[in-house]
Amino acid sequence: MNNIVVQILLIALAPILGGLIYGLERKVKARMQRRIGPPLLQPFYDFLKFADKRKMIVHSTHAFLGLLHFVSLWFAVAVLIMGGDFILIIFLHLLSTAVIILAGFSTRSIFSHLGANRSAISVLAYEPVLIIIAISAYMLTGSFDVSALYASEIPVLFKMPLAFIALLLILPVKLKKSPFDVSEAHQEVVGGVELEYSGIFYEAVYTAKWLDYIFVYLLVFMFGGANIWLGLVLVALTFIYINALDNSTARVNYKQMLRFCLWVALPIAFVNLLLTMFGVL
Amino acid sequence: MKLNKYRKKSPWILHYNAGGCNGCDIEILACLGPKYDIERFGMINSGNPKQADVMLITGPVTKRSRERLVDIYSQMPEPKVVVACGSCTCTGGVFRGMYNCEGGVDQYIPVDVYVPGCGCRPEQIIAGVVEALKKLENKTKEIEKSVRLEVAPVESDNQINRREIAAPINNGGKPSVFG
Ligand code: SF4
Repeated sequence: MNNIVVQILLIALAPILGGLIYGLERKVKARMQRRIGPPLLQPFYDFLKFADKRKMIVHSTHAFLGLLHFVSLWFAVAVLIMGGDFILIIFLHLLSTAVIILAGFSTRSIFSHLGANRSAISVLAYEPVLIIIAISAYMLTGSFDVSALYASEIPVLFKMPLAFIALLLILPVKLKKSPFDVSEAHQEVVGGVELEYSGIFYEAVYTAKWLDYIFVYLLVFMFGGANIWLGLVLVALTFIYINALDNSTARVNYKQMLRFCLWVALPIAFVNLLLTMFGVL
Repeated sequence: MKLNKYRKKSPWILHYNAGGCNGCDIEILACLGPKYDIERFGMINSGNPKQADVMLITGPVTKRSRERLVDIYSQMPEPKVVVACGSCTCTGGVFRGMYNCEGGVDQYIPVDVYVPGCGCRPEQIIAGVVEALKKLENKTKEIEKSVRLEVAPVESDNQINRREIAAPINNGGKPSVFG
């Protein structure tokens, strides 16, 4: 990830790559349920269809916040690709989530409110773990820059294995996958914060979901260090893990989710921080 | 650029039960399951009127559900199509003439495709939706113009319309149309 041209290309193509990942995911999920599944390009068909649908906006701020969610998430992905500051990346991502939570609260729909509540709770669940991983990375390389991790000769995975496990545990919360999909829960809150969007404004929220995949898989890729192939293998394994988990588990409620993240994932990340701090690994 | 052809590649479904016996609903869910798997055609049961294109309705419209029906219908952004699944949705079926419901859904909202059968087979539902998608593809921007709907009394055909009989009990003798 050193070449500036490659970086700019990746940033520009990030939504398209994310769409392909989403399409592949729907295909894989269907195959796991013995279905044939939609075509690989299905997310793009959805995208083009929504471009043509009538826009029904609740109020202009709500629609604007949806667009802002997409843009700020794209910024987070861009900084992550360029190898910028880890803390900045986390905060940009938090900003995008905060914006969509605000949008959820700005309508009068009760489902939107519930979804926003639950989104805020899932932020509470995964954010501390991410920050501790960032601090561990700082202890390891002496800088908050992600590029130092991309460049590390020994893969980061072998230096901080527990951090990787903690990341795997919080990924379903972040991607809104079962068992931790309370914030989207189609059967309960009908999609949560994205409920009131329609037309091209829904498109922004829908595409932001694809960018989320890119964001998450880049975080996983980071653990491969300078070894690109190890990074790609990790991404592939994580992809299979997330889909298998999504298909085989049922939703837990938000209290159980919070308890799991704060009592299991957070201590694991913390032990990893201690190990890195004292240079055990 | 004409985007019309993508409409039939990703029709998102909204499913509403307007008081049916659940027979047709189960058949609709069977369509979504592994055997018939309509996700092959990109259909998702979205459950959200603001993002749906195809509205699948089952059941005769009961008095409790008719306001919600019109409400949900008007929340769907155009272009949209409505598929009436099941005999009782098309004409009233076994419920026709009962005191608590009207004969069919098309007394309240425009219906594009009628799927017969009590309950209708999943194959029929898929055929009906495919038929509806042809209509969806040809819808133009004309339908996005808002029109004012007039409340007009439902003309009673030769079915027993017990609504007028029940009216005096509810609101002191005034004929009740639409609540
Ligand atoms: S058509 Fe028949 S099976 Fe379907 S909802 Fe009506 S009564 Fe039930």
